[in-house]
Parts: sequence; C-alpha cells; structure tokens
Amino acid sequence: MSQESHNLGIRGEDRACQYLEQRGFKILERNFHSQQGEIDIIAQDGEFLVFIEVKNYSFRSLGSPLGSVRKSKKESIIHAAQTYLYKNHIHDKNCRFDVLAFYRRSDGSYAVEHIKDAFHVS
Amino acid sequence: MLVKLGSSALRGLDGVLVEVEVDSHKGLPGQSIVGLPDTAVKESRDRVRSAISNSGLEFPPGYFTINLAPGHIRKEGPMYDLPIALGILSSSEQVFLKRAENTIFLGELSLNGEIRPVSGVLPICFSAQQAGTKKVIVCPENADEAALVSDLDVIPVKDLKEAVQYLNGAIDIPAHKVDLQSLFQDQTDYEFDFSEVKGQQHVKRALEIAAAGSHNILLVGPPGSGKTMLAKRISSILPPLSLSEALEITKLYSVTGLLGGGATLITRRPFRSPHHTTSDIGIIGGGRLPRPGEVSLAHLGVLFLDEFPEFEREVLEVLRQPLEDGRVTVSRALASITYPAEFMLVAAMNPCPCGNYTDPIKACTCSPYKVQRYWNKLSGPLLDRIDLHIEVPRLKKEELSSHELSESSKAIRERVMAARQLQEGRFAGTKMHSNARMTPKYLREFCRLERDAEDILKAAILHLKMSGRSYDRTLKVARTIADLEGSLNIKASHIAEATQYRCLAAKGGEYNV
Repeated sequence: MSQESHNLGIRGEDRACQYLEQRGFKILERNFHSQQGEIDIIAQDGEFLVFIEVKNYSFRSLGSPLGSVRKSKKESIIHAAQTYLYKNHIHDKNCRFDVLAFYRRSDGSYAVEHIKDAFHVS
Repeated sequence: MLVKLGSSALRGLDGVLVEVEVDSHKGLPGQSIVGLPDTAVKESRDRVRSAISNSGLEFPPGYFTINLAPGHIRKEGPMYDLPIALGILSSSEQVFLKRAENTIFLGELSLNGEIRPVSGVLPICFSAQQAGTKKVIVCPENADEAALVSDLDVIPVKDLKEAVQYLNGAIDIPAHKVDLQSLFQDQTDYEFDFSEVKGQQHVKRALEIAAAGSHNILLVGPPGSGKTMLAKRISSILPPLSLSEALEITKLYSVTGLLGGGATLITRRPFRSPHHTTSDIGIIGGGRLPRPGEVSLAHLGVLFLDEFPEFEREVLEVLRQPLEDGRVTVSRALASITYPAEFMLVAAMNPCPCGNYTDPIKACTCSPYKVQRYWNKLSGPLLDRIDLHIEVPRLKKEELSSHELSESSKAIRERVMAARQLQEGRFAGTKMHSNARMTPKYLREFCRLERDAEDILKAAILHLKMSGRSYDRTLKVARTIADLEGSLNIKASHIAEATQYRCLAAKGGEYNV
C-alpha cells in the first residue's frame, strides 16, 4: 500500500466516524487489530455493538459494496470481532456487522451507502 | 432462550418424531444447525433468513443454535424450514406457541415466505398420529394428503405470516377435512380394454388366471404378436383396491415424491414398466438413505418388464428375493429399510434375438448358439419363480382382418373378482391376499387334489423334472384355476392346465434348442 492510498484510507475512516457520530453511534475503537484480522471501526449503536468495514470508491461501482467484502475479508473481520469481545469480556451484547461505503462524486462530494447487518457468522 | 417445536423425519415408510430446538444467545450474529442434518437442511439457514425478513417480520439479533433431536437419526430434506423459522421468531417473541402443543410442522419455505409442499407427508402423519400428535401444520398443497389420516387436525397455512397469525390467535383456520369415501371411488374406467385385442384367446385365458391369483407370467412371442398390448391391459382386469391397500400404495408414492398432479389417494393398482436399461438399484431401491425402487412402486400392482432378456443379468437376479418374499430390505451404512414389494411380474420377450424363432412364416436368422445365449440370460431359478409361461403366436390373417370385438375387460374382471373373493374368504385372518402368496403351511390345507388330479401331477413331476418350488407354484396356479371355476377341490383338468403353463421352467430355459 502506498503512503498516498494509506492516507486516503485514513481520511475515509475519519469521514466514516463523522458520519456515524452524526447518526448517534458512539465510536469505541478505530483500526482494531487481532493476530489474523482487523476492523476499521467498532462503535456502539443503541444496544448493538457494531463492527464496521469502511470502503472508499473514487467512482460509482457496479453492484453492492458487499461484493467487495470477500470471504477472506469477512473471516478476518469475524476473527477480530471475536478477539475484541474476548479481550473486553463482553458476553451479553448483541452484535452486528455493517459495511459503510463512500463514493466520490465528480464535484468532490461523497455519496454514502450504509448496509446494516451485512453478514453473519456461519 | 430455548424454544421447542415438533416435526418429523422419514425412515422408510415410518415417520419419527423430531424435536426442533432453537436456542438463542447474545453475541455475534449467526446460526448453526446440528443433529445430523443433510445439505438441504443446512441450506434452510439462508431460506429462513430471507423468508422471515420478506414476510414483514424481523430476524432477531444474536446467535442461534438449532438442534434437531434425536441426534442419531439423519435429517433429510427441506421440511424443517417452517419449524426453524417459527422457533427463531418465537425466541424474539414475535410468535407465541400456545396453539402448538402436540403439533408437528412440515414445510419448506420459499424466499418470499410462502410455504411449499414436501414429500412423505402421509406416512409422517400416520406415524405422528400413532405417537400422540393431535395437529399438523402444512401448506395447502399437502393438506389433502395429511387429512387422509383420521383423528388428526390438519391446519393448512399458505405462508409464514399466516402461520404466525394463526399461532398468535389473530386468525382462526378450520381443520382441513377430506371425504375419504368420495375420494375412494371405484375407478374402473381404464384407457385400454381387452376387447381391442384380436384373437390370442389362450393368452387372455392365461392372463385371466394370472390376474385372478396374482401370479407372475412370462409372455414369449415374435415381434408384433401383441405381447405388450396384452400386458398393458392387465390393469383393466385386476380387482379394484381396498381402502387400506390404496393407503399403503399412496404412502410409498408419497415417500418417493411421485404423488404430484393433485392426486391425493392412489385408487388404481400401479402399473410400472421400467425400461430395460434400468439399474439393479433402480429396480430394488437404494441410495444413501434407501428409497423405494420399481418393485416397491409396483406394490399390489403390476411390474411389467418388456424385452425381458435385454435387462442386465444382475437386474433380473435381484428380482428373485422380492418375488419370493413380497418385500425387500435395502441395507446401507446409514439405515436398513424394508419396503413392501408384493407385485405381479409380467415379463415379455422374443423367442430369439431376431424374434422369428417360433414364427411359422418368417425364417429365423439366429444360430442355435445365439438363441441359447439369449435364453441363458434367464436363470433357472428366475424362470422357476414365474408361475405361467405362455407363447403368444403371430396372428393369423383371418384374425387380423376380423372386426369382431372380443370379450371386454369388464366381463373378465368380474370372473377375476369372483375368484379373488373366494381367496379373500380363504385367507381371512392371515396376511395373505392371493393364491400366489400362499405359504407352504396353507398349501397343504387348501390345495386338496382329487384322485386323478394327483396322478397327473405325479406324472408331471417326473416328466417335467419339477423342483420343489415348481411343484408348489403349479399347485397354486391349479388352485386359482379351480377358483375361477368355483370348484372346492382341484380337479384333473385344473392340474393339467396348470402344468402346461410351466413347460419352460422344466426345460430350464432351453427353448426347444
């Protein structure tokens, strides 16, 4: 990953946090890493503990952003989520996996797509 | 929170009650299904999720463990979708299961929440009713079938939403009823009739005897002599089914999933004519969880094997055991299942590969070796089990051009039914239905020979080198012939006619070679 695209990602996550906070999410953690996985944002949404994967696109992609969260990525997110729950001794909370996608318009503004409950542990 | 619902698994022709347990706890979202599910059951995860959210209901958060108990029986098919979905909804208190006591749920869910029909509903409901179940919830397509079982409330629901409303008491659905007697009408209008077959009087006589005693029969003749035509008309002279027989056949077809097309109850005797490329598994039944084969689908009806020697030898040999026992046990690693197979075997064949061996006009082009090899496909033991062997000759030109109608199936059927009635009376209180199924113990009791009849039989034993089985079968055929005549004892003429039908077995299949 080049320094430039890394910065782009960081800025994307800033944008995501801003977006989520505006909607009443309480950000708990950013860029949480476990041995085999990582989660972009961990937030509290009412009674739910939400694990959020942020996607940034410089164009309007075809199809759902869910398509770009592949199986290996899901597994890495799930693994990190399990680690987070374990480390913080959380046993009695309902959890959710969300995907938050930003599309850059030509005028520099962004369109947002927020998929709640995007995938599950199988 | 733990929720329990009733459902059922099929094991052969019996249903085993299955308890669907749904446990939910907080944590990462997901679900797992345990209790020996097959692929179709595991896939229900995705169907249930879509069905719930597309029914205007909410899929609750949390992790769900779904257990199908008892855990040692393999669960097959999509019929657990409905109880699983209701279990999940109940754990989030979107549905209350007060009306679900002593109830089983059977149904596949479509993605939009509709309930789809499943196979095996009739045998499942029979077993469930015996095990104390009072109510069954199925889709409307399955309701008729389930309602054949008496003392069971059948509640038809068309989709998940309706099921939820019913269980919550928001709507009332009256129990579905069918009128068994009106369904089970004497349906004797057959597509084919014996009056359409010209000539071949002696073959018709043999078929009448076969039908009257449920005997196996082999038709041998050149191409175009009418073997297939005759065989197809056997159904039309068989006696109508009794209600319990009809239910037995319907169960078999329900398990196989062949009970489509709006048919609820099978009211006619089955006529199965598998192609000669059918495998031995296809004939006997099989699969990981054994399913009925052709012999069981022909239960209480006719199994017609056209071009008899063209079947693989193994296929013909596997017929031996069901022919003798009237049932077949298929054992696989997962289960050993016994299916009934009381069928009447009707086989048809040419006398040689070219077909013209016995033809008085056309010349046969086969070498004796070829003819012998053709006949060698039929083993002695198999021919021994076929009670009547009959030649179907080419029709003479006067017979071909005649416009006279021969005797109708109805007239023949009446004689057959009279003979069957005698047998019913004779075998009342036993498990036997027909002379062909008579056990040796009863053979001595019911097949009393007149003096001269005994002499003929003794001569026949010597001359035709009859085996023990052959002897028994001859006696049974003679018994049927006597029944057709309404005679109490077996007379010389009956024995004489019976022995002439066994000429092939005596030669061990060497057809005049």
